[in-house]
Amino acid sequence: MLKSLRRRTLAKVAGLSAGMMMVGMVPTQAQDVVIWGGFPELAGYYERVAESLSDKYPDLNVIVEPIGLRDHEKRVALGLSSGLEDATILELIGSTANRYIVNDLLKPAPDSVQDFVNDDANFEPFFQETATVGGSVYGVPVFRGQGALFYNTDMLAAAGLDGPPKTMEEYSDYASKLTQRDADGNPTVSGWSLRLSGGGGGIAEKFWINLHQFGGSLLDKVGDGYKAGYANEAGLATLRQYVNAVSGDKTVTVDMPADAAAFQREQTAMFIRESWVIGDTAKKAPDLNYKTTLLPRGSIALPVNLYVSGGTEEAQKAAWDFAIAANQPEHLIWMLDNVGWLPNRSGVDYASVTEAKPQFSAFVDLPDDYVFFTLPSIEPINEILTRFAARLVDAYADENLVGDDAAMMAVLEAAAEETNTILDRASILAK
Amino acid sequence: MQRRRKFWFAIAAILPTFLIFGWVRMYPIAETLRLSMFEWNLLSKNKLFVGFSNFRELFGDDQFLDALTNTAIIAFGAMAVTIPASMILAAVIYHRTKSRFAGFYETAVFIPHVVSLVPAAMAWKWIFDAKLGPLNAVIVGLGGEAQPWLFDPVLSVVCIIVLVSWQTLGYGVLIYLVGFRNLPKSVYEAAKLDGASGIQSFIFMSVPLLKPITLYVSVVTLISGFNVYAQAYVLASDTQGAPGRLVRVLVLDMLENSFQNFRVGYAAAEAVILLTVVLLLTIVQFGLLRQKGGK
Amino acid sequence: MGSAKARTRRNNAIIDVLLFSICLVLLLPLILLIANGFKTPAEMLTWPPSILPQNPTLENFRTVFTETPLLRWIFNSLAFAILSMIAIVVTSALAGYIIGKFPFRTINIIFILFLTTAIIPFEVYMIPLYFQVKALGALNSIGGLLIGYLVMSFGIFLIRQNVIASIPDELLEAARIDGAGEFWIFWHIVVPLLKGPLAALAVLAFFQAWTTFAWPIIVMTRKTSFTIEVGLANFQSAYTIELSLLSAASAAVMVPSTLAFILLRRHFVEGISASGLKE
Repeated sequence: MLKSLRRRTLAKVAGLSAGMMMVGMVPTQAQDVVIWGGFPELAGYYERVAESLSDKYPDLNVIVEPIGLRDHEKRVALGLSSGLEDATILELIGSTANRYIVNDLLKPAPDSVQDFVNDDANFEPFFQETATVGGSVYGVPVFRGQGALFYNTDMLAAAGLDGPPKTMEEYSDYASKLTQRDADGNPTVSGWSLRLSGGGGGIAEKFWINLHQFGGSLLDKVGDGYKAGYANEAGLATLRQYVNAVSGDKTVTVDMPADAAAFQREQTAMFIRESWVIGDTAKKAPDLNYKTTLLPRGSIALPVNLYVSGGTEEAQKAAWDFAIAANQPEHLIWMLDNVGWLPNRSGVDYASVTEAKPQFSAFVDLPDDYVFFTLPSIEPINEILTRFAARLVDAYADENLVGDDAAMMAVLEAAAEETNTILDRASILAK
Repeated sequence: MQRRRKFWFAIAAILPTFLIFGWVRMYPIAETLRLSMFEWNLLSKNKLFVGFSNFRELFGDDQFLDALTNTAIIAFGAMAVTIPASMILAAVIYHRTKSRFAGFYETAVFIPHVVSLVPAAMAWKWIFDAKLGPLNAVIVGLGGEAQPWLFDPVLSVVCIIVLVSWQTLGYGVLIYLVGFRNLPKSVYEAAKLDGASGIQSFIFMSVPLLKPITLYVSVVTLISGFNVYAQAYVLASDTQGAPGRLVRVLVLDMLENSFQNFRVGYAAAEAVILLTVVLLLTIVQFGLLRQKGGK
Repeated sequence: MGSAKARTRRNNAIIDVLLFSICLVLLLPLILLIANGFKTPAEMLTWPPSILPQNPTLENFRTVFTETPLLRWIFNSLAFAILSMIAIVVTSALAGYIIGKFPFRTINIIFILFLTTAIIPFEVYMIPLYFQVKALGALNSIGGLLIGYLVMSFGIFLIRQNVIASIPDELLEAARIDGAGEFWIFWHIVVPLLKGPLAALAVLAFFQAWTTFAWPIIVMTRKTSFTIEVGLANFQSAYTIELSLLSAASAAVMVPSTLAFILLRRHFVEGISASGLKE
């Protein structure tokens, strides 16, 4: 009797616990969190972060789906405007995300994430601001693109130059000394590779980096509005340097190989680029002797943040946890070391990386007065850059501009008028 | 009576295709073109009606006018290369149908049409390279002067025409080959008996008989020529350390305006202009290549 | 007679040499592409490029096959391309024949509408179409992908032109007088005569779907559902291209492409010789 009672109770308990297990299974069901990124080289980094979360979220299934930046931006636009089904972590440049935020397509981050980002021990105000709109934090900063000067140490030594250039005047001077020429005097190795042609706004962005060194800015913020900031002495000095390099000193030509590939092939002695070049060079030209150095005044910084949208509340929570876990020092060090993008979190010791790869120090060991600038979060930014770029391409190739400051100023003024017209159409032209 | 029965058969037979077209082509196209009268940034819930102001702005936009001119030159250039080249090549390959190499010829000509553009562009940039490219090597070898192919405003357009023609040639040859194989052989045999040479029968028999096919190839190459954009993009892209001058073309401008400048209405206005221009050109082509029997 | 034969043979030899050199020029960029697949990243950097790899490596192919679901992508593309090909051949055959041989005003207007839709590039109007597919819940499925590629204006146009060029009205009238039904005429007279053009259309439709990029990239967002052309885009970063990997993957993809072409080509050559109206 007792036996059978016990057996019955046991059966009941077993049944109950089985039932509880069933109930318990619902919230711990495999959770899909999708990561949409625009930088395929970061896939390994995200996979590492996902692995480190497997203790806390045993059923978390992180699906990393990176694709080229242009296509990424397109799918984000479509996905956000039509609603995402899975909880999705979106890797977005701050200025791009801003468009979605003002159109109510992204929600503010939960309180715990707000606290994490707003903690000054974690991020500098510059990075907090790029993740914040209207006082609320919308995303978690991760990494940034930033420039530095890369220079070929063998070529500098051969030209008798001791150490890298420090001022923009020295840049021109170095470029002349570093240029190698054939018997007819045509450059075969450029002294300083400049972006003179190619697609899209990159040409104007590079111009902006040089302009920044002269103390100027492509767009000036005045009150709530903007206006073209380059039809002035700083702009003229920048354009003069370009025009003189191409048609005056002839230290570079429009049709010479350029950029990272030219540097790796030893077809140019110096150029300004982001930190990814270090990893790329290790792979493609491991024997190249080169160093990096800070730019005279400061650099562009394009911060990329992680945002979350779509999916169940539970999955969203896991997604935000992922964004915070992505900022663990060990993952950030791994990213710098293996991918070459620059993490934004403060207080992480990168010495282990910069000792092994000293070229990174010009990106992470920055003096306090190093001035960052970034692209403003305004809708027509790309249009302003591409239209200005088209004018610059023609100006760079125009030999008649050499030594003619008035003509160069006229080019800048005409371009500035166009820039202001675009700003005006978007109702953000400063009065 | 019979005419009515034929009419209803025709309508019934074409209806399913027409409905699919309506759903997957005409409706989304109409939706897009409608936006040409609006200002819309792709994300906002509000679309602001602006009448014809997008069109007014277009006609004062140098970048758009530049794109329109370049695109027209590329389209006509590619057509002028593709039609004669693919017709002659198809005729010669057809002539060698019984050769054991026939399969190789057809495949070799066709494969460029289906290969991925980005890796193939690497090879083309090398061919056009100002300093080390084989093209300039040949030109210099023949006593000419090396040219900055990818950087000169005129030559960079020529480069795109060459790249587009390379891709389209296989398409044209495939279509013409079908045309040649479908020509009635009896006519040729009669011509042969009259003592006509191969070249004579090509010019006086094949070319006129293939008029419907030529109309097809010319309309298709012109329309695709006006749709070119990836070719311009890859030749200017600097990811391989060898940039080039960006030749602005219409579709590139359109996609940039809608996805990067967030001016969807403005891009739609460009699409309306593209539609109008190409439709008129197509009507002209139909007029020029009209022949009996085809309505 | 003997000398004429010799002359023909000599002419043919000249033509063969000519064709071979043309094909070689056309294939040159592709030869370089294939060679690039066997190069190390360091050798990729040399300029001018070496035509033959100096230290050929299989590493690129190994990476491509082990680290990406290349075969899965090829399978997705294959399924999509075959379904799209079938849909396009069926709709184009019927519509092209009707437009070519039934010159009613309504039909002509429909033809103009069909052709007009080809003028606007797909990339420009795919956004509304994306929302239509999304409303059906068909994102990330071959079905959703297919919706963009069920019909082809140029396919209808191609069949119309071939109907006009090679099917005489008299033949159809004779069949009608014999009491044949319209559909019977289409199936038993028209389709056999159109075997060549239909096979060519099959080739074009297949490769149109095989190479398309802009549509699958927005409809298929999961790596496992990528088509091959979208998968290849993964080797391009924002600033650099893994050109050696991309070349290896593209070279690998050329194998099924070429096989598909050879297979389809054999069919349309046979298709021609089987159609009866020739002699």
